[in-house]
Amino acid sequence: MINQKVKDSLVTSIIWLAALVAVSILIAVVAFIFSNGWSLLSRDFLMNHYEDSIRFVNFQSTQTYKLPFALEENSIFSEDLGMVLEQTEKGYHVSYIDDYSPVKAAVDNAGELFPVKVGYLIEEVNGQVINNQTIGQEVLARLSAEDNITIKVRMPGGGVFPMVVSTLILVVVTLLFAAPLGILAAIYLVEYAKQGPVVKTIRFATEILTGIPSVVYGLFGALMFVGVLGLGVSILSGALTMMILLLPVMMRTTEEALKTVPMSFREASYGLGANKIQTIYKVVLPSAMPGIMVGIILSIGRIVGESAALIFTIGTFAKLPVNPVNGNLSIFQTGATLTLRAFIEVKEFGNVEMACAIGIVILVIVFTLNTASRFFTRKFSKGNF
Amino acid sequence: MSVNRKRVWLENFFHGLFLTAAMFAVISVIAIIIMIFSRGLRPFFPNNEFGTYNVFNFVTGLNWRPNFGEFGVGYMIINSLLATLGAIILGVPLALLTAVFIAEMAPKPVAKLMQPAIELLAAIPSVLYGVFGFAVIAPAVRSISPNPTGDSLLSVILILTIMILPTIVSMVVTSIRAVPKSYKEGSLALGASRIQTIFKVMLPAAKSGILTGVILGVGRAIGETMAVILVAGNPEGGIPNTIFDRVRLLTTNIVLEQGYAAELQEQMLFSTAVVLFIFIMFINVVLSKIQRKAGDL
Repeated sequence: MINQKVKDSLVTSIIWLAALVAVSILIAVVAFIFSNGWSLLSRDFLMNHYEDSIRFVNFQSTQTYKLPFALEENSIFSEDLGMVLEQTEKGYHVSYIDDYSPVKAAVDNAGELFPVKVGYLIEEVNGQVINNQTIGQEVLARLSAEDNITIKVRMPGGGVFPMVVSTLILVVVTLLFAAPLGILAAIYLVEYAKQGPVVKTIRFATEILTGIPSVVYGLFGALMFVGVLGLGVSILSGALTMMILLLPVMMRTTEEALKTVPMSFREASYGLGANKIQTIYKVVLPSAMPGIMVGIILSIGRIVGESAALIFTIGTFAKLPVNPVNGNLSIFQTGATLTLRAFIEVKEFGNVEMACAIGIVILVIVFTLNTASRFFTRKFSKGNF
Repeated sequence: MSVNRKRVWLENFFHGLFLTAAMFAVISVIAIIIMIFSRGLRPFFPNNEFGTYNVFNFVTGLNWRPNFGEFGVGYMIINSLLATLGAIILGVPLALLTAVFIAEMAPKPVAKLMQPAIELLAAIPSVLYGVFGFAVIAPAVRSISPNPTGDSLLSVILILTIMILPTIVSMVVTSIRAVPKSYKEGSLALGASRIQTIFKVMLPAAKSGILTGVILGVGRAIGETMAVILVAGNPEGGIPNTIFDRVRLLTTNIVLEQGYAAELQEQMLFSTAVVLFIFIMFINVVLSKIQRKAGDL
């Protein structure tokens, strides 16, 4: 008996140890991502473009302005523009702009409104270069010209805004394809199909789809959508690839949701004279909605986290997926998702900090989705039936 | 009459629509197989536009040197097997014990906190685990390795272990919790200790769920690409002599060269995908056989 007790306490301590090891490793991963990425994270990180960009903008001074606070060291105030410039080793940064400053109504060379914002670097005024060697008084003198002033501004990059946009567009476009397809397929399997060769084939196919690794989907997408269908490396190619990858998940979760709708609901609907389509559309689908939502949320998580299936279908360029001709967002253009960019940052540049900062954004998204799916699952399990 | 006919037509239309959507899965599988196989098998038949390659040399070859026209994936198959096996040997016991802890031994508030946390960790994209491997595991391995680099089989195994841990744990916890309470009470009433009850009653009863978790974990380990690329070293050939040697897996081979490959090399990447496809289908069949057998016992 004593022997058994010794054995038991030994096993117990091994279990405690194993749990401790496992949990501390997993905590270490999350802690690592947060501690490395935290310093980069800011509003600018989310809203800035990845690369610096340069614009020439024009405006005209009409009145003079007063500074509502004391000027700091290394800063100069332009009375004609109501703008404070701070001198750093890179040159003159905009650090404050008066609410009525003319630079807020600046237009670019194409004649479109392009307001100057805090953080921009001013590199030229009326064709004359300004750098960190330029004396403050000289800068002010140039900025107080009577006529139209043209300045060259550099918008600082280092942000992930293009990736945030690309990820969002990819999620929306993929779901537009995958959700209806998965839901319709699940309706067939639950509401129409009788056991037989057709159902067996479909089940077998979804099982194979589940087993295929995402890198093979990527290869297929690159051949089929990018090549054969001629969609090029684009958001659309990535979305179509993801649609097939997500099909089994969407089908299975929707099936489970449809199956939990009690038979009596359908019978009652038929009893009231509704036909099959009406029953499915008005009774079954609304009752199964929370379960279907869980499937959609899980799919969003997969899209946000996917990389191998997307790297050669959607591309890795850190730019907005815009049409170069008219500047509109387009699903036929290439753009990288957040996760893909995190991979490229490490693989190509060894930039762990950037990858971790992107990682925090991804973790926040995943965490939010997880909480949302928990909410829907709870709502569903309580149910309205 | 016409209303009725319209209704019948509508019913048929929707029936057809639903069937088409369901058949899309079948069409996708067929399309994927045709596309991948037609490209991937072409180099092994005569009259290939970019030259033929001996299929035996391809499967058993220990060197992948596209510049010298040498395409062997034999070593990648072995490396993929070693990496997956290593991750299972390390990961499954650790995950099992952790799951037992959460389901049976942890104080209630701890368990309540741990389960959702583990589920959340299972949802973390693998790339982030890869970044962790690149910045923490590989340097750590380098410090104990005789080789000048930390990129190694060991790093790959460790990163895969960490990655499959949450997947298996959350599956096993769910299945242990699903074991009827009466089993546990019966065992305890017969005088068995808590540990005996867990290992002799609870775990065997949760067997099928545990196996499902392991299969999910294996699936994630075999198919993993991006995290592995960052810590594998990806050499042009050779079977590792020690766990400190660099490795190239089937999955990483595809992504590494797809960006610039052309002609025969590109076809060979599809051939690699064919091997990967067959490799995974084979393992899936074996695992589902084991699962079915375990269900019978």
